[in-house]
Amino acid sequence: MKDSKIAKYYPLIPVCATYLALFIIGESVPGMWQLVAMLAFYCAIGQAFNIFLGMTGYVDFGYVAFMGVGAYGMALSVERLHMVEGIGMGVVFLGLLLAVVLAMLLSLAVGAVALRLRGAYFAIATIGVNEGFRYLIEGTKIWGGSEGIVFYGQLAKALGRETASQVSTYWADVFVFVIAFMAACITIVYMRSKIGYALTALREDEDAAKVMGINVTKYKIIAFITSASVAGLIGAAGWALKLTNVFPPQVFEIHYTVECIIIVLLGGAGTLLGPPIGALVYGLAKYWLSVIIPGFQLFVFAPIILVVIVVFPEGIMGLLKRRWRGTGLGRFIE
Amino acid sequence: MLKLEDVTKRFGGLIAVNRVSLEIKRGEFVGIVGPNGSGKTTLFNVISGVYYPDKGKVLFEDRDISYFPPYKRAPLGIGRTFQIPRPFGSATVRENVAVGAMFGTMRDKVGVDESMVIADEVIERVGLQEHRNKQAGTLTPVEKKLTEIARALAMKPKLLLMDEAMAGMHPNDIDQMVSLVKTIAKQENIAVVAMVEHIMRAVVGMAEKVIVLHQGAKIVDAPTQEALHDPKVIEVYLGHPPER
Amino acid sequence: MFGIQLAGNLLQGLVLGAVYGMATMGLSLIFGVLKVVNVGHGAFMMVGAFVALWVFNFLGVAPLWAIPAAFVLGMVLGFIFFHTSMKRLIKAPELASLLATFAIGILLEETIKLIYGADFHGYNWIVGKVSMGITVMPMSKIYAFLGSILIALILYFWFTKTRGGTALTCVVEDSEGARVCGINVGRAYALSFSLGIGLTVASGVLLTMFIPVGINPYMGGVYTLKGFVIAVLGGLGSPYGAFFAGLIFGLLENGSYSLFALIPGLEPFAMTRFFSFLILLLILLIKPTGLLGTK
Repeated sequence: MKDSKIAKYYPLIPVCATYLALFIIGESVPGMWQLVAMLAFYCAIGQAFNIFLGMTGYVDFGYVAFMGVGAYGMALSVERLHMVEGIGMGVVFLGLLLAVVLAMLLSLAVGAVALRLRGAYFAIATIGVNEGFRYLIEGTKIWGGSEGIVFYGQLAKALGRETASQVSTYWADVFVFVIAFMAACITIVYMRSKIGYALTALREDEDAAKVMGINVTKYKIIAFITSASVAGLIGAAGWALKLTNVFPPQVFEIHYTVECIIIVLLGGAGTLLGPPIGALVYGLAKYWLSVIIPGFQLFVFAPIILVVIVVFPEGIMGLLKRRWRGTGLGRFIE
Repeated sequence: MLKLEDVTKRFGGLIAVNRVSLEIKRGEFVGIVGPNGSGKTTLFNVISGVYYPDKGKVLFEDRDISYFPPYKRAPLGIGRTFQIPRPFGSATVRENVAVGAMFGTMRDKVGVDESMVIADEVIERVGLQEHRNKQAGTLTPVEKKLTEIARALAMKPKLLLMDEAMAGMHPNDIDQMVSLVKTIAKQENIAVVAMVEHIMRAVVGMAEKVIVLHQGAKIVDAPTQEALHDPKVIEVYLGHPPER
Repeated sequence: MFGIQLAGNLLQGLVLGAVYGMATMGLSLIFGVLKVVNVGHGAFMMVGAFVALWVFNFLGVAPLWAIPAAFVLGMVLGFIFFHTSMKRLIKAPELASLLATFAIGILLEETIKLIYGADFHGYNWIVGKVSMGITVMPMSKIYAFLGSILIALILYFWFTKTRGGTALTCVVEDSEGARVCGINVGRAYALSFSLGIGLTVASGVLLTMFIPVGINPYMGGVYTLKGFVIAVLGGLGSPYGAFFAGLIFGLLENGSYSLFALIPGLEPFAMTRFFSFLILLLILLIKPTGLLGTK
């Protein structure tokens, strides 16, 4: 009954398979790329958000701020560095790096205030940071203020028109795929290490966890910063790079956080496969609804969300995990 | 090993623990006894770090841990179980017990895999093998209690604090649990401090000495048999001195 | 010159603050009794705004009449939502009720959009103005102010003098203890939720008396956020605290606007919003139970 070292990571296989399948469909079926890119985006934010929500049980209602700040990182890098001789793709990679740095800084600031709070207070504090940060940008007019940053021109200067266009219409989305996969890897590594166990413990019963020797604040911060950093990357690639612009009202829009929450909950919070499944179900449903009843998607979604929360809060993966626990198939499920 | 020196804890105007001093040696079995409101829960919480003393010191192996947060006390070797068992419900028994090993006294020496091995050992010793892959939330209260004990034991503690109401438990189950804990503790040289409401079979069966609290102060600190017959103790429970 | 302008601004802020305060009382009540944060708060206010719109435009009657109508509607909605969803979520983790109220909010927004469309509406209730030396105050705002205070007073009396009200206060303190005293806690929950929503919807009417334009299905979001700041300021769970916090918030909001407008290079409107969140975070850091909270 000895589990080999590799077997621990088997649950990564279905995730890989899903992303690969998605990618292949997007490449081969004409016209599908946009939809596939959107689904990949949802997968990515779902996986990233799950690292915090799923593993600690805390809801960060201001999560989108990390994506926003990441987007700014990319935008600022391109805007300010594009004239550097021969920098080429370097602006993009620097943008990604800056995105992570900014997201980490913001998450440290938020964490310092919010992580000592519990439950509803935590949720409210995080909304406060989200909105506060946005209005700070708009109010002090830094980083383009409420007009945001438009940087297609600068990107074209740095990379040449051809490449710039390719990057923003294709490679940005590929980055998102890669980030989604990376987030999945991070999740399973955490889950299988002491970090994962500590997080499960503190999610279940924070006080008992403390008595067991777990420094709950330390682990909450680890999960928080990780989740925020990935969000920053997603904002940089999936928003800024793809759209070549950043506007405060758009990138701090609370409903993206809610979409993250739905995706994670629907699929199963705290599981590895949950976010991709939730993302696919949600993304496809949203797309389908927008085709058959445009303008009314939310009207249909709202009661569905209500039903999911009230009736099956553990999500799809939660149910499957229970059914298949201990069986052969169970080794691929997490 | 564990020394409390003149510990006082107050909440606003209420003095919950009043200048209590005591000593627990390695491998000793002690009962802390007192009716409701006597301050024993607070005392327990001061020892495990949930509260910090207002006055006095808590020393463990000659180290002043009075102001250590709970998570720092566990790796020193202080383990604890709760009155109403609180295992981590969505995790399996095995995972629960392994958590104890991961963050206990061995935390720097064991990783996840070794903790699982330790968990398996401990689970066998307490007799929970058949349930080890079940989710802790689905267990019966007795099994949950055993899981908690196993989890605390997996920490390889030097001192085990047992918050024991044992109320509502069948006497057979109580006896079984007491003898189980006693056996393992003797083997591992773990000191066990059980907190109970009054001196009854559980404590008599296990404790070598008994500390009785009344209104926050220590009134008796003596070997069990002596304490049972001490008129002060009887007065505390009956409200008046024993009849001649 | 600036001094007079500032004073005038502050007075306007105080008056608006009363409306804010009254609006937040419902939010605080629901949190106090049910420990639920109503994330759909703004959406319910929006419903109230539309009630006022309807009453004025289609019934041709002063919006004052909309207040009781909105209150009743709110209580009915609260009752329905409580029994269909919130009831089952009392024992669930906090995330569940947060999301549920959010979903309810979205449902309200989309339903109203279906009925009225997404455009902005407004109405014009001209009942004269009053010059108050430092500023000119339209009567409609004064009515809003008085209305808010009146409702707050009625609530105060209800909480302290009636059986129903005191029962609720007991449940806030200790639900188990209240149960033991024979208080039907389940009914207390239902009543609080309905009452809280009723107050929230009614406050939407008062809001339109202050700002009779810009009424659209998505107007609520801003007020949800303000509601949170005020509720935390006054102590989540304390309706009275909420009212006074509302007044303070109104003052701060307007006062800070005047001050920020003086500093070049800043966009005062956004800075005011930033400032309100800064306050929120400071309170959460220093005294999460609120300026006027007791625990």
